[in-house]
Parts: sequence; structure tokens; C-alpha cells
Amino acid sequence: MGLWRYAARRLVQIAGLFYVILTVLFIVFRLAPGDPVERMVDPSMDPEDAEVLMAQLGLDRPVGVQYLYYLKNFVSGDMGISFHYGEPVAEIIADRLPNTVLLFTSSTILAAVVGVLLGKRASWSKGRSTDTVLTFSALATHTVFLPWLALLLIWLFAYRLGWFPITGMVSEDVWLDPGATWWTRAVDVAHHMVLPLASLFLIQFGTFLLVMRSSMLETLKEDYILTARAKGLPERVIRNHHAAPNAALPVLTTIGLSLAFSINGGAITETVFTWPGIGRELVLAVSQNDYPLAQASFLLIAAVVLLANLVVDLLYAVLDPRIRY
Amino acid sequence: MSPDGRHRSLRRRRWLERFLDGWAIYRRNPLGWIGLGLLALFALMAAASFVPPLIDPMYHPMAGVDPEITSSMGPSLRHWLGTDFMGRDIFSQLLAGARVAFLVGISAAFMSVAVGTAVGITSGYLGGLADTLLMRLADMVMVMPALLVVLILAALFGQLNIWTVVLIIALFRWPGVARVIRAQTLTLKHRPFIEAVRVAGASHRRILLRHILPNVLPLSFLYMTFRVTSAIMIEAGLAFLGFGDSTTVSWGMMLQWVWKTGHMFKAPYWLLPPGLCISLITLAFYLLGQAMEEVLDPRLRKEEGGVG
Amino acid sequence: MAAILGRVRFAWLVPMVLAVLGTAGPSSHAADLLKVGLPDEPKTLNVFRASGRWSGRVLALMYQPLLVRDPETLELIPWLAAEMPVYDPEAVTYTVRLREANWSDGSPVTAGDVAFTGRVIREFKVPKYYSKWKFVTRIDTPDDRTVVFHLSGPKAVFLSRTLATPIVPAKEWTRAVEAARKKEKPLRSLMNHRPKTLLSSGPFVLKEWRKGAYLYLVRNDRFFGRGQEIAGRTLGPHIDGILLKFFGTSDAAILALKKGTIDMFWWGIQPGYIEDLERDPNIQLYRCERSALYYMGFNLRKPPFDDVAFRRAVATLVDKQFIIRRILQGMGEEMDTVVPPGNQLWCCPDPRTYGKGLGRADRVRAAYRLLKEAGYSWDVPPVNDRGEVVKGRGIRYPDGRPMQPWTILTPPTDYDPLRAMSGTIIQGWLQDLGIPASARPMAFSALLQQVKTRRDFDAFILAYGSLSLDPDYLRSFFHSDNDKPRGWNMSGYVNPEYDRLAEAAASTIDTQERRRLVWQMQRIVAEDVPYLPLYNPTLVEAVRKGRFGGWVKTLGGIGNLWSFCELKPL
Repeated sequence: MGLWRYAARRLVQIAGLFYVILTVLFIVFRLAPGDPVERMVDPSMDPEDAEVLMAQLGLDRPVGVQYLYYLKNFVSGDMGISFHYGEPVAEIIADRLPNTVLLFTSSTILAAVVGVLLGKRASWSKGRSTDTVLTFSALATHTVFLPWLALLLIWLFAYRLGWFPITGMVSEDVWLDPGATWWTRAVDVAHHMVLPLASLFLIQFGTFLLVMRSSMLETLKEDYILTARAKGLPERVIRNHHAAPNAALPVLTTIGLSLAFSINGGAITETVFTWPGIGRELVLAVSQNDYPLAQASFLLIAAVVLLANLVVDLLYAVLDPRIRY
Repeated sequence: MSPDGRHRSLRRRRWLERFLDGWAIYRRNPLGWIGLGLLALFALMAAASFVPPLIDPMYHPMAGVDPEITSSMGPSLRHWLGTDFMGRDIFSQLLAGARVAFLVGISAAFMSVAVGTAVGITSGYLGGLADTLLMRLADMVMVMPALLVVLILAALFGQLNIWTVVLIIALFRWPGVARVIRAQTLTLKHRPFIEAVRVAGASHRRILLRHILPNVLPLSFLYMTFRVTSAIMIEAGLAFLGFGDSTTVSWGMMLQWVWKTGHMFKAPYWLLPPGLCISLITLAFYLLGQAMEEVLDPRLRKEEGGVG
Repeated sequence: MAAILGRVRFAWLVPMVLAVLGTAGPSSHAADLLKVGLPDEPKTLNVFRASGRWSGRVLALMYQPLLVRDPETLELIPWLAAEMPVYDPEAVTYTVRLREANWSDGSPVTAGDVAFTGRVIREFKVPKYYSKWKFVTRIDTPDDRTVVFHLSGPKAVFLSRTLATPIVPAKEWTRAVEAARKKEKPLRSLMNHRPKTLLSSGPFVLKEWRKGAYLYLVRNDRFFGRGQEIAGRTLGPHIDGILLKFFGTSDAAILALKKGTIDMFWWGIQPGYIEDLERDPNIQLYRCERSALYYMGFNLRKPPFDDVAFRRAVATLVDKQFIIRRILQGMGEEMDTVVPPGNQLWCCPDPRTYGKGLGRADRVRAAYRLLKEAGYSWDVPPVNDRGEVVKGRGIRYPDGRPMQPWTILTPPTDYDPLRAMSGTIIQGWLQDLGIPASARPMAFSALLQQVKTRRDFDAFILAYGSLSLDPDYLRSFFHSDNDKPRGWNMSGYVNPEYDRLAEAAASTIDTQERRRLVWQMQRIVAEDVPYLPLYNPTLVEAVRKGRFGGWVKTLGGIGNLWSFCELKPL
């Protein structure tokens, strides 16, 4: 079947791309002039101790050997040991990943749902003020400078109004209380998630709205819509049952393509809100020259992005009967 | 008038007509007007940024300090938007930031669009293996979160100079353009008039430069406006996180100063303007792009919505 | 927009939001729980790996050393040791009697634990501690409460540094150590060991560590100091526990403090916040001196800084008061010598100073005079014929060559905006004299590599945030032996007389005599200016009023072992 062959071909391509990314990443990190050991020493230590530390981190081996180890370890799933945590990178990532997934998927789903609904709304009032207002707010929230927006949200809702916690993911009161049920804990996490979720949502939903709107406008010009109209079906039915499902398809592609943008936003959001996720970990690791951790986090993000695009393409192929590979 | 000259003037007239037609459509778009208005405002700010240091050295955005002020002060007649923590004038910094934003945005956008157009045309026109390789490369670069990549490079290789940042942004933002231009080139390639000049014996270079390039340029120009948006955002994000060029006064850098010196929640006169400016200038370019898109071809919406 | 959102479609959101809002508002379970904000999470609680500040702070509440410093006099006093160690100059040994103390599981802290700690450090060459134990040749334990250290020679740092090493419980680590010995890379294995539980000999013991959120320590009822009087202080702890909550940024932590979510922020408050916090009736600020050194270093191996006259001219031009007033907002004090002024035991009172108290123009004149006398010339001198200060241009070396542009390397703005800004300001002052200097912020580790490993630089601005109180670093910084890659003598300062003094000071046990030598060393450094000390920032810390009382101020702030032992709920 064509679809399977297509999927297989894309997978091979993705594996190739991934290998390129893997190698480029290695080269970039080794070329960098920084020396991770120098930050860990203080004047009471002798230079020899720094050398010992260097050897301890495995940085004393020739670069070629380091590269081979890197590939070998990667294949065997061993991403090395974080310079700073002294823990296997895989464990640190496994610890942070659920937090990122939670924040990210909820905001993406929410943004997609709201974006699609509002986009539909905008498209059938095209040219009227509702449309202008919606389009404009989509654009405005999409282009707003995210860290600034996040800080304003904290200032207003967490500091001034005190509705939400300032940063973090859990409040110790709830988690230290042995009597707390899973429900109160879940609510606690949700409570902490509102603001980061809101900022991610705000920058994401505009894209969905705009894509849905224009896709809907295109679809409304299609022949089968005209046919449906000619049959005298009510506008509502035409929109919701004939146009909308087809118009929603490009939104799928948008999810894939705007992922990179959302990930940037995710890293900033996690950093500003101290949300213990992969993005924040990556920013921290990068600034502390924690090579293994930074590499692994970035690889993970790259892998997710590549695979997500594949999935989106495949879904598109499955859902849209007009596309055949 | 020689035939060639007449041909040229005809073409010029066609361009003018197309422009006027386009303008007629653009004029009907209220959002386009907002975009243009905002841009004019920012251009004015950038132009005015040369003035304050001439009035008094203390208005120099980077090096000037008010001799009488040693901490952050609210707005006054002397300092319209107040001063930062060491007595530098925020308004002059804001003006200088406009200049930097235009500089960064337009040069990065220009570079990425130039690369993207070149790759797109080559890929579309040549086809075959070159096409496959270039497009796979584009796929890879396209999905990478540019901000994180620049962040990694900035952290590893030391504080990047503003031009290096511009270059890196450009290198990561060309694929979207390349894809669209390639598609356009593919359709153009099989149009009768191209076939005709090919049969007439025109060289590949001539076909590419004289016949295909002029037809994809409006599209490239459109994408430039989107690229400006993304370049400004990335630069500002980088500066905000502390990895920008600290010898340049950009809006992101101003926000970083507010944040790092602990004035975030007590100096709204300092916190609000740079963030508002970043958001508005990106919005302005975006609106411009949207409105132009409608002018050029509403069916061309293939661009990813992101500015990352 | 609001009208659209308000449609029925979103009605289901309302109860959810309400439920979420309903849980808002702090509700404390343990009233006597001290909540402390930390800017960042400790990376590890493995004492042999811990190099970060936060790990050190947490571990210091659990693993105790033999000696500590009195918070007021800064003198060393016995802690896990029962009394000050007895020195035998003949045999070069120190004999230490241990106090009666227990680990948090009830087992006694023995001489065996002390010997174990020292032996592990020596055997595995644990980088953080090895240099402090290198010269300990043998450790004897005649009985459970007595330890005898044999030294290769008299060492001034034995008491202040070696005995400040936290003592590790042998029984908790024996297995990990034995397992590590069998590995190909024993040290790596030891440093990557993750202790499951942590026995404590200190006032607190680890209860829970929720990664990314908080670290919860409870009172150790078996703490040896409980109810005892040490250094004239009756120790607790009187609080039930400490909750260390991690904030990514200072802003968030300070807001949390203002809201009362935390009782203290264990980190210096930036100048920008101070005014605001001072006005807050719920917040109390403490100002402490730090044992820090912010300085400008020069590369003495090449021009222009191979000339002492030029270094002195630069020292004259740099207005430390301006930097403190403008950039630090007054939160700091000028440093004339490399030893911080707060370290009253060792700070030299009379080093040579340059241009102290002079205004901008006078500094230019003084520097101009210094350089002119040394034979420098200008295309346009910075002081004209009428003695007025003008903008100088084109400075030339005494042999007539024009000075090539050079750079001042500073950390990047994300790491320390103040140092980056100091660099920019100093660059301006130098340029006024026609000196082609420019400041260049650089990624921190790249900067260290450039300065320390490659030694390819002209000048830099760096800092030590918490220098040890023992002045042995004077030897590290300027002894010619350390002028090698990764060595601490980054300036490349070579002075045989200084080397001799430094070696003598390192093996002088008598405090008075050592102080004389250390002062002399500081005078030489101030004379030759391989480093130009700039400032020592004041540490401002903030706590909530009305929750806990009894903070102990000392060099390095109120967040210290003494405070946590003495704090009482109000």
C-alpha cells in the first residue's frame, strides 16, 4: 500500500536527518571554547585537581574517541551523565518530560480547539467587525513578546490579584500534607499551570484561528458547498457538517509546522514560570556547559519535532481522500 | 525608441499598474492601514534616535548618565520615560532600540529571503537530486526551534555580536521561503512563455534571471515581512534571556536590564515601553504581510504561521 | 471577543476555574516550618561531587566539620571537635578529641568516621577536597574519640581548611566506596553515586526532596549542639524544619517573600529591590559584608600591562566609588587590597592606593603624569598646555610604537550585568586618555578558558563570590609556580621575594607571625598591581518580620548554620 511505503521512506529520511543533527550537535559542542570544569573549581583547589575532574567527566579522551562513544552510547540509550547533577541524563529527562508534555499538550489542544472554533466564527462573518476584531486579536496575541506577556501575567494575576501562585508547579503545603488526596494534588498542579498555560495558549491560538479562517473561506468556494447550497440545506448544516471538517485539515499541518515556534515559546514560558520541564532544563544546561544534558534535551526536542511532522503528514494523508501517495 | 527600450517601458508600466491595482486592494484593508501606520511611527522613532545625544551627552543611550540621578526615576520633563537604574535616559534607549530592531529585522529578513529565493528557484528549476537534497535540508532546518539553536550557539561561543545573531537567524529562517518559491518556480517553469523563450534558445541564466526571478520577487518580498517579524522576536528573546549583544541597546536588552536589576515590578515606566514596542513592531510587520498577501494572492497561504 | 468567549460553549470552563481558584491561598501545616527561597535547585546531595553553591548550603545543614568559625570574631572554634586540636611541632601532628555526638540514626560519630572521610578523599583524590588533604600523610585513631593527623610539614591551612571538611558517616558510604574501588574509574563511580538516605550529624536531616520543587529538612533531635552552649550561644534548633523552595528567578522569590509564601530569601537582593522592600512593613532587611573580591586582572606577560607604570595609571583612572555609587547603587565598598575588608583577621590596613578620592579630571591628570614620566607620548595628550583635560588620542609606548587596541573581557550580562557594565564604564575612562581599550562580554566558561587555560587576553573583570577566610589564596593568585595553564596565577605575576613570603606564610603556624607575612604580601601586590581590586558588594538579605527571630549576622550573610540553630518562632 502506498501509504506504508511513503511512511517507510519518510522514516528512513528522518533517521538520516537525525544522524546529521546528532553529529552537528556533537561538533558544535566540542568546538565551543567553553571549559565546563573551570566553573567547578575554586582557588583552594590545585590545577591538578581540575585535570582529575576533567578526566572524571570523560573529557580527556581524544575527540574522535569521544564521538564514537557518543554514538555507541546513543544507540544503547545511554545519554551520559550530567556534569552538574551527576545523574544519568536519561533519568533527568524522564523526570522532566511529563511536566513539559502536560503543559504543552494541554495548551496545544486548548489552542487548537479555541482557534478552530473562533476561526470558523470569523470566516462566516468575514468583512464584518467580529471578523476584524477576531483576526486582529489573533495577530496581536501571536506577535506579542512572550517573556514580557508572561511577566505581565505574573504581575497582574499572581502578584496584584493573588489568584495564582507566582511560579513553580506544586505548592509544598499540599504535597507535604500526608492527608492530601490525589485530587487535591491534581488541583494544586492545575492551579499552578493556569498562568503558564495561558501564556502558551495566547501565543498559539492565533495561528490556528487564522489558518482555520482562511481555510474555511477557501472551502466555502468549493463546488460541493455550492451543490449543498443549491440543495437548499440550512447554512448551519453546510458550515458545520460540510465545510468545517474539510477546512480543519490544514490546521493539522499547522500543528506540525508551528511546533518549532511553540517549542521556543515553551522554553521561554518554562523559564519564566520556573516550570520544571525540558525547555527550562535545556536553557539551564546550555548556560552551565552541561554538555550531555543539553545535547540530550535538544536531541529529544529535534526527534519530537521530526516525528510530529511525520505523523501530521500521515494523518493528513489518511484523512484527506484527495491525497494519495 | 528601440524595441528593447519600448519593451522595458511597457514592462515598467505593467509593474506600475499592478502596483496600483494592488494598492487599491490594500487600501480597503483596515488592518493593513494599522500596520503601515505603526511602521511609520517606528521608522520615525528610529530616525529620531540620532537626535537626543546631540542635545546633551547624557542622552546617549548606552554611555550617557544623568549626573544628578543615580537610580531609576519615573518620568519627568527632563526624562520623558524616566531613567534606568544608573541614570540613563529610557526614552533615548527606546529610540535607539527602534533603530536596532529595524536593522536586525530587515537585514536578517533580507538575507534569509535572498537565500530562500535562491534555493527555491534553483531547486524548482533544476529538479532531480539537487531538488531532493535541498528540500530535505529545508525540511530539517525548518522544524528546528531557531531560538533554542541560537541560544545554544550564543551560550557556547560567547556573547554574539549583533551581526552574528542576524546571520544565524537568517541561516535558520530561509526554508519556508524556499519552499514557496520552489512551488512557484515549478508552476512558472511549465508556463507557455517560459517554454517559448527556451525554444528561442535563451540560456538557463537568462531564463532564471529575466523571466522567473521577476515573477517570484513579489512573493519573496511578501515573505520578507514575515521574516522581519521572526528575526526581531528571536533577537529580542535572545537578549531577554541574557545572550544578546550587550554593547547594543535593543529593546530585548532593555527588558533584560529591567529584569536583572530587579525593577520588573516597580518600574512600569521602564518595563512597559520596550515590551510594547517589540510586540507592536512585530505586529506591524505581520499586518503588513497579511494585507500584502491578500493583494498578491489569497491562495498562497502555505506559510507556517510561526515566527520561531 | 469577550462576548464570543462568554458563549455557552465555554461554560464548562467556569466550574473548573472556580475549583482551581478555590484552592488558592497559603495554608501552613507546620507553623514552625521555616520556608526559605533558593534561586536554584541543588544539583546533587553527594558530598564528594557537590561543587555548586546550593548543594553546599544544604549539605552544610547535615554534615558537620570538626571546626567552624565564630560568627563574630571569625576565629576558628571547636564544633565536632571537643576542643581546639593540639599541635605537636616535633612530630608535626595534630591531635583532635571528638565531642560526644550522634548521627541522626542514633549511632555515635566516631574517630573512624573522621579517618574514613580523610582516607576516602586521599585515596580517590576527590577534586574538591584533595588539595586540603594532600599533606596529611597518616590518620591514626587511638580510640573512638581521638584522631591524630600526621602532616608532611607545618601547614597553616590545616586547621582552617582541612578541618573544615564535612565529616561523612562511614557506614553510609562504605559500600559505595568499596563498589567504586572495583570500577575502572573509581572516582567517577564515587562521584556518580547517589546516596538514598542521608545520615546527619547537624541540626537538620533530609526528609523529602521533590525534584524541581522543594527540599524538606526536619529538625534532627539527636544534633549534638541541642541545648548546648557553644561560642556563648545556646543552640537549638527551635524550629521544626526548613523547607527550601526553588525559584528560577529573583523576581519570583521576592514576590513570594512579599506575599508571605516564604520567610526568607537565601540570596543577595539586587539593589533595585531594596528601596521597595525597605518600605514594606512586613520585610526586614539585613546588610552583611561579604567575603568577596571583584577585581580587574591584567596580563603581565605582554604589553601594555607588562609595564607597572601603565598598570598604576589604569588603577588611578578607575574610579571605584563611581562604580559603587552608579552601578551597585551604593551597595558595596571599595577594595584597596585583595583581601576583603570584612576579613578583619587578615586584611592589610595600609596598602598603597591610587587616586583615592580624586574627581574625574584629577584622575586623568594623575594618570597622565604617571604615564608621561614613564615615557609614554600622545598624538593629542589628554591634558593640554593650559592644564585642561581634553579627549586624548593616539597613545604611544616609550619606544614610540602606537599602542594596539586591546580588550577587557567581562562576563556576559546574563551572568553578571554589573560586571559587564563596569567593563563598559572602565573602557570609556581609558578611551578618554587615548588608550584603545574596549570591553567585551564573553560567555562565562569561554572567558575562563581564555584567561585561565589559554592565557590569551589583555585584561579581564572577574570575581570570587565567596573567598575562604583563610588568606592562602594570596599564594595561589600570585605565586610564580601557579603561572601555568589552569593555575590560579592568571596575571603571570613573577616576583621571587613574593614567592618566598608566600611559602613562609603557608607553613607558619603562629597567627601573629603569619599575619605579618600576609600583610607584607598584600603591600607588594598593591604596589605592583597585577590585580586591581574593585569592590566588595554588600550582601542584603530579606526576611519576613514576625515569623522567626534570632538571625545571626556574620561575614557572608544571615543564612548560616548559627542562624538556623538559633532561630525561634515568634
